[in-house]
Amino acid sequence: MTSWFRQHSYALAHALVHLRKAPGSFLINILVVAIALALPFTGVTLLDNVRPLSEQLSVDPEISLFMKQDTPREQSQALAATLRGLVKDRQVKIIFTPREQALDNLKTKSGLSDVLGTLGDNPLPDSYVLKLDAFSQTGVDTSAYIDALAEEMRALPGVDAVQVDSAWVKRLAALLGVLRLALLLLAGTLGMVVIAVVFNTIRLQVMTQRDEISVSKLIGATDTFIHRPFYYTGALLGLCSGAVALGAVTLALRPLNAAIADFARLYASEFQLAPLAPLPMAGLLALSAALGLVGAVLSVQRHLARLN
Amino acid sequence: MIEFQHVSKQYSPDAMALRDISLTVNKGELVFLAGPSGAGKSTLLKMIAAIERPSAGSVVVNGQDIGKLKPAGVPFLRRNLGLIFQQQRLLTDRSVLANVMLPLLVTGAPRAQAEQRARAALDKVGLLERALARPQALSGGEQQRVSIARAIVNRPQIILADEPTANLDRASANQVLDALKAFHSVGVTCLISTHDEQILDGAARVIHLKQGQLDTGAGA
Repeated sequence: MTSWFRQHSYALAHALVHLRKAPGSFLINILVVAIALALPFTGVTLLDNVRPLSEQLSVDPEISLFMKQDTPREQSQALAATLRGLVKDRQVKIIFTPREQALDNLKTKSGLSDVLGTLGDNPLPDSYVLKLDAFSQTGVDTSAYIDALAEEMRALPGVDAVQVDSAWVKRLAALLGVLRLALLLLAGTLGMVVIAVVFNTIRLQVMTQRDEISVSKLIGATDTFIHRPFYYTGALLGLCSGAVALGAVTLALRPLNAAIADFARLYASEFQLAPLAPLPMAGLLALSAALGLVGAVLSVQRHLARLN
Repeated sequence: MIEFQHVSKQYSPDAMALRDISLTVNKGELVFLAGPSGAGKSTLLKMIAAIERPSAGSVVVNGQDIGKLKPAGVPFLRRNLGLIFQQQRLLTDRSVLANVMLPLLVTGAPRAQAEQRARAALDKVGLLERALARPQALSGGEQQRVSIARAIVNRPQIILADEPTANLDRASANQVLDALKAFHSVGVTCLISTHDEQILDGAARVIHLKQGQLDTGAGA
């Protein structure tokens, strides 16, 4: 274990010594790789901020049913049994919301309590929400079934309006899915760019250290001993670039948040973009180091084989 | 210790470096390989260090058949050899001491121990006071003595020196030879190639090579 540690600390020190000899080119390489990493890191940060919002929204089909204003409370409540009969044996959650509670919810969630206070009478009706959890597993055409169900509900006595709520949420979920896929493809492409930059950096290092490699081989150095400092160089390049990219993205959130604050205020929202939490940040740094390592391994395997 | 049996080396159809060489070098011997340039001296030494592999025949070093040695085994074979080249091949971006420490560091030796042994090796070749100098600040003879220190720091069983005096004046060449003879005197097997007949005076054993073959007429 001591020998293993010693060999690795020697390789790391060796890598650092060579980086110190040409700090300018190392810094430029960091900058190039950091630019490539900054774009997917920005995407990850934005998606991470949007994710909590999208998770709050249900993507399961929902039907909202609004009673007429003058429908007596007893009649409204009695409708629950009729609704249960309509959906038969399907797993459906039927939630009744009295008009008073609906007004309270609106006051709490919209931030418009002052405006609503000026209205006098409660303008909201009693309502039902039907959460159709298990429809997707039944094998029937969910969309057609929901439309037919909504049509039947509209014909019930005391019902004013029926609204299928899930469509836009589904569209949002689909959009986020497309964005995630696009981000993945972008990250994959730019990951290749990072590997290519590190590959070339290590190739140049192998060329400049050709004599040292050759002498080391003649005095009994194993391939692992010779390769290891290059692996550390690649991983360090990736790690430093990842740190620079994350720092740049975090700094860029300040002006972005200033612009978002003005926009969000129009919707009575306090929404702000937050930097990534320490754990995802550590994950991205590890990924950056891993990309650097992959570039170094590919380069070393290719170019040192030519020196043998 | 070193045994060549009917060894030939052909680089290309019209480039035969060695032809049917058979010889044995016993433990503790000091052997000079003599012959003009292109006689095959360097190729013979390279085969002992597994830098080249025989095209035919077998080369056995310390019981290991070079022709059958796997690439992963080569570094461990070389750790028992001390290699000295005509061009010293010292690393110019580090000190003399760091150059001499390198063979120990590649084996995973602790830095402090490597430094201590490197200083001792430099002391043996009379260059301890130049330990922190860069190789390019040393004369040719001193650089060759540094390469000897690098070759012996691992306490090898065999020293292979390829034309170690070729680029040196007589005084420096004698210093280098004296250093090599000093290691032979403590039991290290030494093979020294040279085309300089003057340094063969008084040699116990000289193997003459000519056009890749043993030159028996010259008294091998």
